[in-house]
Amino acid sequence: MKVSLEWLSEYLKLEVEPEELACMLDLSGTAVDRIIRIGTGLSGVVVGRVVEVQPHPNADSLSVAHVEDGSNVREVVCGAPNLVSGMRTAFALPGARLPAISTSELKRANIRGVASDGMLLSAAELGIGEDTSGIIELGQDVLVGADIHDVLPVEDVVLDLEITPNRPDCMSMIGIAREISALLNLEFNYPEIEIIEDESTYLDSVKVKVGAPGDCQRYTARLVSDVKISPSPSWMQRRLMAAGFRAINNVVDVTNYVLVELGQPLHAFDLERIEGKTIIVRHAERGEVIRTLDGEDRQLDEKSLVIADSSNPVAIAGIMGGENSEVTEQTKNVLIESACFEPTSIYLTSKRFGLRSESSSRFERGTDPIGTSRAARRAAQLISQISGGRIALGEIDIFPGKKESIFVELRPWRLNELLGVEISKTEITNILERLEFKISSGETLNVEVPSFRRDIEREIDLVEEVARIFGYNKIPSDLPKGGRYEAGLSKTGKIEREISNILIAQGLFECISPSFMQNLDLTRLRLPEGHALTKVVTLLNPLSETGECMRTSLMPGLLKIVRHNQNRGNKDLAIFETGRVFFSAEGNKLPIEMDCIGILLSGMASSQHWSVSQREFDFFDLKGIVENILHTLFIGNYSLKKVERPFLKSGRGSMLQVEGKDAGFLGELKSEVVEAYDIKGHVYVAEISTDCLIQAAGEPEHREIGRFPGVKVDISIIVDDGVECERVENIIRANGGELLESVSLFDLYKGTQIPDGMKSLAFSLEFRSFERTLSDEDVNERVDSIVSALERDVGAVLRKKDEGPSGSVRQN
Amino acid sequence: MGELERLRELSRENKSLKSVIEKSISIIQGCSSLEDTRDARIRILGRKGMITAVFEGISKMPEDERPAAGRAGNEFRTLVTALLEEKEKEIEASIHMESRELEGIDITLPGRCPPLGKKHILSKVIDDVVEIFISLGYSVETGPEVELDYYNFEALNTPAYHPARSLQDTFYVKRSDPEREEPDDILLRTHTSPVQIRVMESRKPPLYVISPGKAYRKDEIDATHTAMFFQVEGFAVDRGITMAQLKGTLEVFARKLFGSKRTVRLRPHFFPFTEPSAEVDVSCFACDGAGCSICKHSGWLEILGCGMIDPNVFSHVGYDPEEFSGFAFGMGIERIAMMKYGIEDMRYFYDDNIKFLSRF
Ligand SMILES: [Zn+2]
Repeated sequence: MKVSLEWLSEYLKLEVEPEELACMLDLSGTAVDRIIRIGTGLSGVVVGRVVEVQPHPNADSLSVAHVEDGSNVREVVCGAPNLVSGMRTAFALPGARLPAISTSELKRANIRGVASDGMLLSAAELGIGEDTSGIIELGQDVLVGADIHDVLPVEDVVLDLEITPNRPDCMSMIGIAREISALLNLEFNYPEIEIIEDESTYLDSVKVKVGAPGDCQRYTARLVSDVKISPSPSWMQRRLMAAGFRAINNVVDVTNYVLVELGQPLHAFDLERIEGKTIIVRHAERGEVIRTLDGEDRQLDEKSLVIADSSNPVAIAGIMGGENSEVTEQTKNVLIESACFEPTSIYLTSKRFGLRSESSSRFERGTDPIGTSRAARRAAQLISQISGGRIALGEIDIFPGKKESIFVELRPWRLNELLGVEISKTEITNILERLEFKISSGETLNVEVPSFRRDIEREIDLVEEVARIFGYNKIPSDLPKGGRYEAGLSKTGKIEREISNILIAQGLFECISPSFMQNLDLTRLRLPEGHALTKVVTLLNPLSETGECMRTSLMPGLLKIVRHNQNRGNKDLAIFETGRVFFSAEGNKLPIEMDCIGILLSGMASSQHWSVSQREFDFFDLKGIVENILHTLFIGNYSLKKVERPFLKSGRGSMLQVEGKDAGFLGELKSEVVEAYDIKGHVYVAEISTDCLIQAAGEPEHREIGRFPGVKVDISIIVDDGVECERVENIIRANGGELLESVSLFDLYKGTQIPDGMKSLAFSLEFRSFERTLSDEDVNERVDSIVSALERDVGAVLRKKDEGPSGSVRQN
Repeated sequence: MGELERLRELSRENKSLKSVIEKSISIIQGCSSLEDTRDARIRILGRKGMITAVFEGISKMPEDERPAAGRAGNEFRTLVTALLEEKEKEIEASIHMESRELEGIDITLPGRCPPLGKKHILSKVIDDVVEIFISLGYSVETGPEVELDYYNFEALNTPAYHPARSLQDTFYVKRSDPEREEPDDILLRTHTSPVQIRVMESRKPPLYVISPGKAYRKDEIDATHTAMFFQVEGFAVDRGITMAQLKGTLEVFARKLFGSKRTVRLRPHFFPFTEPSAEVDVSCFACDGAGCSICKHSGWLEILGCGMIDPNVFSHVGYDPEEFSGFAFGMGIERIAMMKYGIEDMRYFYDDNIKFLSRF
């Protein structure tokens, strides 16, 4: 809502600076977006009269106008579509200053071969409005050659206000004046409305019927006959432009003027174009069509409230009029509609048509049912004033939704208790009265709510009113008193944070990608129909940028991050994301949401350094990172099994099982998948269910470290290449007995030294007893049984056995 | 096979050499300087050394045993010589090393940095915010991101055709069977406030809860709007909760997050689920309130929305508004991160450019 301070001064005497006023409004709930100063620095602009218009010899879209500036007639090139001879407009002479469009002065110009001796201005070029569609059309009342400052109060300050949806009463000059008056404890006045009614018989011939009383609380109408349509006077045009409206003619401008002034939307019909001079407020019938004022044909349905004449809809009620009843230059008799429609009906219809107007934005928030009559009188007064029409005697007023005033009880102590303040009953009363509430005071306050405050129904609503006028800044600061014992992160929250921390500690970057996914991602991941990851939650109204469903995997997001980074030269990536994935659930109302960890490695495992050579990430980097998470969470009961997944390279994927349950996978992505995401290089991905890890997470347990020295034995065996390392390790553990403390693989060799199809595995075993120093016999016995088990179970051949004291440097 | 192992094998093969070999090994292994190895060489291989005694012993053997014993003796000599040389090299190397350690190094050569990961800047800000409220006694809760209309709107005093709904364009979920129920009743939550309802439904006051999470709005995507964003919701429900306590709580929060000199102001605003409602500004930390480009010359930065929980919300969860009162607040994490770190475009957060992420 744009509020011109020049206009506002019509209703109250403003003696504060605009900045101060803006700050006060801001702190009382009317946010000020901008303070716009218009017209400052403008000079050299006069009222010009267009004497003659000729086509431009070299350009179809331009004309050459002869414009009288009061003393001379000048030739000016102009492209405005509304340029006609006889009109009066704003004429910038050479040397003029037009701060809205330029910092330098206006010069004579040659436009497509014709010299232009000045410039005709639109409201935007003049800096008083936003309209750029044509040059400004001034009333015929202005003196040609007069300085524009003498004709229009060009200099003004406009406050651009943001009105919250609960305060439709503030979408008007009067509403803002009321707020300011309450804040400054200042008088304000409604406009004086005096009308002289004419003994016209026309109103008798007009019939109004409200056929949908549920959606139309009140319908008031007045008739002004014998109007003469012309541009409205400059003062009104200027005020409307400052309020963001376009000047149209002296009737439509009045309806807009009253809408801004009183917040009551009006509509003007050309009565002669209303069939049967009958107005019916009803729901449309299916199949009815109306061409609205914006030139669009609208298909109506039973839910749309319309204003119809005896045969056709002539307006979509409260939203936009129809072309068929529009006021034109030929209009003589104007029927002014001033109604109160049901907010929900207007909201839904406006949403269905995607059509919002200044009227609908007020109706859908709720207008004052009592105010319709005043607004109709005001409009009649102004129309007759500026268009010479006669006001018909009386008004039509149908008020099916008449309601009693609302009374709300306010307990002053309750107000003070809730706000944590001490405001006296007298002050509370004063504040409410300045907002036009009527109070009868007892122990509690009995408050009558004015009809324009449809947002006030309960005590708490009044508490807010008092608080915001009293000033939130005067509320003291305090803290809640109660003690709390449940503070902190939940167990889940702690573990999630720990997982994140261990990944970061291993050099990974945390990423966050949108929770959306495209159906295309399912194809890119090569998922067959029916695969678990294809059970997507689909959006009804997606954005093209987001994708049409919710992600079932973190992979697409991570892969897009890789592409984004590769395109920017960041090729070495170790990243992870923790977040939700979503699966549609049959029968359940809500989808299943699962917290997951996605890890992705690609490129070089280390940065370049003078002392070491680089190598690429591989599967075992990923596996190590995953195992470190498990170790950090004290999860011992897990296994990794070879698995095939549609998106993983065959033979290079693994399933993670935690406590026997499928907890996720890790592996290398197929090159087809990588290519589908426009990525280069090898990509290793893991995706693990956070919930599985949280359920399995254990606590650290102290175990004796052992005072006696351990004995380290290295054994190296040759086995068939197909024997998995884990199997060998399990045999070693199973046969090492209690004394075997640890087993680790330190060498894997395939090559010329050993037969084809075989591999050499070298393990370092450490034995320790908690009771005594181990003897050679103790250890040899265990090692022998390990070796014979290996020979027996996997056909291993012992290649070498080395013994050394525990902790000694291994010789290679 | 190394010399040492071969020597041990040799001692097992030739009982007569066993003690000599073991003694030699222990002498050699006991050497710690080049003097020691010189002495060891004399003791083992010298003219009056152990090797001489070995060969003297061989010469006294029966003739048929001598060739084999001789070969063993020679091998013993070769192995011991090699072992000694190896020991000398080892000692020399360690001497060299010691002297190298006494020399300087070019300490300006780049160090070997283990790879360093980073928390996402938004996670970092969320953690900071959550930590402050934990210190004030709040517990952390979360809720679903795909929500029922009831929790996102209705129970939060935003009925179906409330104009407040037009403020936020909502993503709806397609129902597999749209005829079965209201088709538009599952949506992506537009704020984290549904957690208020879920917690209040399942527990009784006193409640002091903070809830970080993702929310979704169907906004045009630009420098200040993304379809997904993070919010942190907080609320307190107890006997005697006042607006003054809300104000004090937010002051503590603002000072802890933005610095001890910050002041806050509350501007009345409208939210369907709180009344009175307010938007909260913190004095600009860049200019201390004097006005600068960051605060658009107002001296204030808007950081969150808040208010006293509306009695209608309490009635949805069966609390008596005469017995309990409460406050709630919600903040956009991106906005706070943008202000705190001077980031101009919200989309940076979700591009995940490693170079951007590594700055924080
Ligand atoms: Zn500033």
